Amino acid sequence: MLVGIPVEANQSRPVKPIECADEMSGYLVEVASDRSKVAFSKIFGYFAPRLRSYALKQMGNEALAMELVQDTMSNVWQKAHLFNSEKGSPSTWIFTIARNIRFDMLRKLQNRKEDICSDDLWPVLCEQTADANETSLEEQVTLEQLGHLFDALPVKQRVVIEAIYIDGKSQQEVADELSIPLGTVKSRTRLALQRLKDMIDDHD
Amino acid sequence: MIKYHPSEQQLLQFAEGTLPAAESLMLSAHCDMCTVCQERLRYHSENMAKTSLHDEADNPALDRMLANIIQQPEAERPSLNYSSPSTIELDGRRFAVPRALRRYIHKTGNWSSLVGKLWQAPVDLGDIGMAHFIYMEKGGRVPEHTHKGSELTLVINGEFSDGIADYDSGDFIAMNGSHTHAPGSDADEGCLVFSIVDKPLHFTSGLARLLNPFSHLFFK
Repeated sequence: MLVGIPVEANQSRPVKPIECADEMSGYLVEVASDRSKVAFSKIFGYFAPRLRSYALKQMGNEALAMELVQDTMSNVWQKAHLFNSEKGSPSTWIFTIARNIRFDMLRKLQNRKEDICSDDLWPVLCEQTADANETSLEEQVTLEQLGHLFDALPVKQRVVIEAIYIDGKSQQEVADELSIPLGTVKSRTRLALQRLKDMIDDHD
Repeated sequence: MIKYHPSEQQLLQFAEGTLPAAESLMLSAHCDMCTVCQERLRYHSENMAKTSLHDEADNPALDRMLANIIQQPEAERPSLNYSSPSTIELDGRRFAVPRALRRYIHKTGNWSSLVGKLWQAPVDLGDIGMAHFIYMEKGGRVPEHTHKGSELTLVINGEFSDGIADYDSGDFIAMNGSHTHAPGSDADEGCLVFSIVDKPLHFTSGLARLLNPFSHLFFK
């Protein structure tokens, strides 16, 4: 065990909900869609000092701590499009990015090889390869062939897939129609395609 | 249905990133298969984010960092080549491998036949250690044994029993020196498991004890 956060000690501290979750979610969406530096500055202003205090405890020295903060916030800036508010709050997402970077940094410091990396253990930032799946699926099977497999999809995913693939709507149109964020449409599409792909693989 | 899950403690440490690598890998693969534990993990991560990221005074060095970061371009969205394999094959049967273990499919050696309708394929996890895919045919049984170290097993596909309990796809099983068991499958389809053992098994009954001097050749 490298560093143990004493769980009991933490539990005695009242866990304050992070009240600005919606606000921060909004900023992340702006960063993802518009590369908004203003929005990112807000996110940075809120999270960077907090990350620094986490990092100092974890890494034990200022230079490594700042490296951890820098890598985490760079990922937030560059990969804000991977944030999905349905899967958790901004603070959880950012914390899990920091946790992953910390894991890889510590292994590197121990001169471990890259036999295991945080992306495998916690796929927080894996680009979900949705596009790849879409293409290969379209090449391999037609909608007719998928037929009954559709019924096995959760309703929310099926609605999105049908709108996009049968009615030919864009992801943005579907988002507007259902009044859900574009990111949600994307993630539902991705999950549904992955699920269909798995089912097809199983059929082979 | 999945009945055996990691302990609360294991999940907490996994969420904070302090669980040893081999165990983390097993937990991650279990979570790929188990929606209950995905939810538990999400819950722990959320709590941990709240308790770990508390308020702290600003630091002037952070301003320079901010200026530096917003100069960076957006990450390139990945190009389309998704070709990493997601199944392993034994005797013409294909088994889906949980996401967390896919990276190791190409590091999996050939299947070899062991005593008693058992098959194993070694998996090189590098500095984490050695793992095996073990396939028990119907009626296949590992001789009764205990453990000098720990044995982590994830049921990938099928059912087996070991005299302690019955297990099904997705079950997560952690054994140590206090457990003696004899895993075997009576399912028609047999059972595929993924197992990491950090020390050789110690066989406890009958002629199988003769295996002990060689047990490092099997299952480890």
